[in-house]
Amino acid sequence: MKTAQIKSHFEYGLVGILFGAVLTRIGFADYDELHKMFILSDMRMMYSFAGAVAISMIVLLLLNNRVPKQHKIFQPGTVPGSMLFGFGWAITGACPSLVFVQLGHGALPAVFTMMGIIFGVWLYRKLHGRFFGWDTGTCGV
Amino acid sequence: MIEYWPWWIGALGLAGVCLAYLLLVGRLLGVSGSWAKVVGWRENRLLRQANEEFAANQDEMSDALMAETLAQFGDEALQEFQTEASPVKGASSVDIDNLESSTPWTAHLTFLLCMFVGAFVTAYLSGQFELRFELSSMHSRIFGDTWEVWLALLFGGMMVGFGTQMAGGCTSGHGLSGCARLIPASLLATLVFMVSAVFLSMLMEVMIR
Repeated sequence: MKTAQIKSHFEYGLVGILFGAVLTRIGFADYDELHKMFILSDMRMMYSFAGAVAISMIVLLLLNNRVPKQHKIFQPGTVPGSMLFGFGWAITGACPSLVFVQLGHGALPAVFTMMGIIFGVWLYRKLHGRFFGWDTGTCGV
Repeated sequence: MIEYWPWWIGALGLAGVCLAYLLLVGRLLGVSGSWAKVVGWRENRLLRQANEEFAANQDEMSDALMAETLAQFGDEALQEFQTEASPVKGASSVDIDNLESSTPWTAHLTFLLCMFVGAFVTAYLSGQFELRFELSSMHSRIFGDTWEVWLALLFGGMMVGFGTQMAGGCTSGHGLSGCARLIPASLLATLVFMVSAVFLSMLMEVMIR
């Protein structure tokens, strides 16, 4: 492996650990906390999320010329995809990052969520290549 | 009762992660993109190889195309084509600019696995770690027996995986990064998935009553 590749593994890994830690301490791994947020009886985590967006907005504005252009566009899948995701999130308590946080928390059934996500991602890519073919703008990482 | 961070520390922490990702990796945070890279690594590699081959044989290819076009449609079509002169678009699901990224897919896998490590260490140190066979008693009350819970998680997970790929982003990509840049598609996507999650959660709440 080249040095650049080792370096990128290290960088991704470091942010990953940080992300997992922060999500855990906010309480996103806890289905009850999440459910309380979704039935709007406890807005603490929603405020954390909204606050993070607000802070990021300011910081990213300050760093404006260093921020890469994002490829996020309206496309036929934006609304139905988000809807499916929203329903799935309410059912499993997991978004694509939270499933790892749930597992790290010791919630064993999250293994099923993970299998579901892997299959869902795989299935979408298959169907997309065959039937849809438009540009989804999935996070250009 | 487990003590979690108050909302403002959480906000600072999450924003810090976004910033760290930008500064270290040079891109904006987006977890479903990493998922796509990890799940589709084999197809991506095949496509990249095909692209490289195509780039190497571009002259041959365009000669062959030209000859074929002449044979099929005659001169007129050819002139039309040349005036349009559109760049070749990949007909496949994968963005060409995605392929140009030099980051190996294993780095994305590392990112995802390290989220697990970070969560585990933090949960362990703060005394929240506990092996559980259900997500929570509330979750089991909503979904019923063990196997029903498993089935719900499997299908719910499929919806999450399928939906985030279809929408082109998830909570981090659309929600954190996209909204912070006020990108219209991301604002709409975030609104839609939040509202659907709230709607379904309320419905579940009503149904178990």
